[in-house]
Amino acid sequence: MKILVCLKQVPHKDARLEASGGWIDEGGIKFEINQYDTYALEEALRIKDAGEAEVVVATIGPDRTSQALRTALGMGADRAIQIWDDSLSGADSLTIAKLLAAAAKDESFDLVLMGLMSDDANNSLTGPMLAELLGLPHTTGAMKIELSDGKAQVERELEGGSLQVVDLPLPCLITVQTGLNEVRYASLKGIMQAKKKPLDKKGISDLGLDAAAVASKVTVDKLYVPTKGEGAEILEGSAGEVAQQLVGKIKELGLL
Amino acid sequence: MSKTLIVGEIQKGGLREATLELVAMARGLGGDVVSLVLGSGVSGLAEDLAKKGGGKVLCADDAALENYTADAYASVIRKAIEAESPDLVLFSNTPSGWDVAPKVAAGIDAGIVTDVIRIEKDGDELVFVRRMFNAKFDSQLRVTGSPKLATVQPGALEAYSGSEGGSVEAFDAGSPQSRTTFVETRTAASGGHDLSKAEIIVSGGRGLQKPENFEEVLKPLVEALGAQMGASRPVVDAGWLPHEYQVGSSGQVVTPKLYIAIGISGAIQHLVGMKGSNYIVAINKDADAPIFEVADVGIVADLFDIVPALAAAIGSAKG
Ligand SMILES: Cc1cc2nc3c(=O)[nH]c(=O)nc-3n(C[C@H](O)[C@H](O)[C@H](O)COP(=O)(O)OP(=O)(O)OC[C@H]3O[C@@H](n4cnc5c(N)ncnc54)[C@H](O)[C@@H]3O)c2cc1C
Ligand SMILES: Nc1ncnc2c1ncn2[C@@H]1O[C@H](COP(=O)(O)O)[C@@H](O)[C@H]1O
Repeated sequence: MKILVCLKQVPHKDARLEASGGWIDEGGIKFEINQYDTYALEEALRIKDAGEAEVVVATIGPDRTSQALRTALGMGADRAIQIWDDSLSGADSLTIAKLLAAAAKDESFDLVLMGLMSDDANNSLTGPMLAELLGLPHTTGAMKIELSDGKAQVERELEGGSLQVVDLPLPCLITVQTGLNEVRYASLKGIMQAKKKPLDKKGISDLGLDAAAVASKVTVDKLYVPTKGEGAEILEGSAGEVAQQLVGKIKELGLL
Repeated sequence: MSKTLIVGEIQKGGLREATLELVAMARGLGGDVVSLVLGSGVSGLAEDLAKKGGGKVLCADDAALENYTADAYASVIRKAIEAESPDLVLFSNTPSGWDVAPKVAAGIDAGIVTDVIRIEKDGDELVFVRRMFNAKFDSQLRVTGSPKLATVQPGALEAYSGSEGGSVEAFDAGSPQSRTTFVETRTAASGGHDLSKAEIIVSGGRGLQKPENFEEVLKPLVEALGAQMGASRPVVDAGWLPHEYQVGSSGQVVTPKLYIAIGISGAIQHLVGMKGSNYIVAINKDADAPIFEVADVGIVADLFDIVPALAAAIGSAKG
């Protein structure tokens, strides 16, 4: 069993973000592995723990993203692929999917696991795109994955807590929803071992692609703090004072 | 003259409201409007859409389309795109929309923008507006090439209310194959913690940091108010509370008289579950958190200072 996990490095959940033109100002903020992708990686590692599997992690991103790959290797992935070229800054999802497809096409993965969505761009695009480019069946938003007899049975999340159960033949691509499992931490031993695991860095020409082949069709013109509507009335004062004001409001509602 | 193709969606045997929101968007942009309805035994719904502004409605009625599968739906949508050559193709950002739209886009090498809340015109060009970074920022995007694809956030627009007469045309789906097989749909089990009738809900988010804080920090306030406890998704994902506490698109939709959101940022998937509440209070240390946009009253401060003070103040107000 050979499993590919595609992971993206995104700004830390609690990072203070400033919009600067078409993207955020990346200076001085911390990055982490996209939450959704940690669940995808955990699922791959559980399959490996339960039997034989090689888990490969791949990311498209600049130098800083090798840290995310090292973390994934520390958690138990076997090897990593990092793809970057400065011309890729601002690349759209289809371009990312084309690069991932080029990196994966000769590897014959049995299973590709990804996140449902990235926490920065919130696109929910890359998974089904990569599946289409690799000619694989796919499903999105898995809350449960069971492998048996060359197929994957997946419970995919719908709305309001409903689920849809689908069967996919392997090889296939599945994007996962958060909460699918309980994500492990990298152990100290794992982090030490990770230093010796292969991390293969590639440029676009190494993948047999050129700039034209991966030109983006979607560009972000502008990123900005939404123009505030009326918004909330903000209560000011010490904790005790705002608590008193709020008690007044709740009384007016007739709820006290 | 431009043309927009709407990919309709059927839910519980009827047209989904979100499809009529796509109609409103397409009509607002002007040009021709064509719609596609996919399913089995859906000619009545195609008629319905034709009456509600869907324009020429292509009706792909085929037993192979009874249940959604990405392969079969994508192949029919591609056929419709080939037949109609639209400039813009609109989907709803729903579990089937986000499953199929990117597959179609990659298959025809087209640009796509998801979860759009608005499309504006800049001369002949379209500008797509959407949220990013979990609603912290808005963004404006442009797409080159044609057709351009977009998925639209349900609820971002009012449903179209006009009634231009359209027409229905049978569309040969060609018994599409699917590698995935649909097994079943399971509706949510109604758990013991029904929030739909609660008068007051106090919800905690990731800002509470650890499970003990729900017991030690949130619960005293819940009890002082005689409220029910709710939560955002990360709290449930982490196993701190069971799924029946989750408020949002994949949890419960609630409309209490008072909703207090504590340490919750206000991602759209949470907002759709609670924005219908009568009165909303938000407590968050980040003044830019999008939750303040839907709140009536906000407190920008550390929840660990405010929540105990509030519980105490309510306790003494009750005497
Ligand atoms: C298909 C899909 C379905 C989803 N369904 C749901 C759903 O049903 N319900 C749901 O909630 N989410 C849902 N989500 C997830 C959603 O996108 C968000 O990730 C989630 O709502 C964020 O939860 P949160 O606000 O608790 O966490 P965060 O976004 O991490 O926000 C935590 C907040 O706490 C604040 N904070 C931190 N510490 C403090 C402190 N000491 N004092 C005060 N404030 C503090 C921070 O400023 C921040 O605003 C769904 C996502 C997808 C893709
Ligand atoms: N730059 C990237 N490198 C590797 N994987 C990515 C990248 N961007 C997105 N992905 C994968 O695609 C998923 C969906 O991301 P998105 O389409 O951006 O919402 C993520 O959860 C990752 O699994």
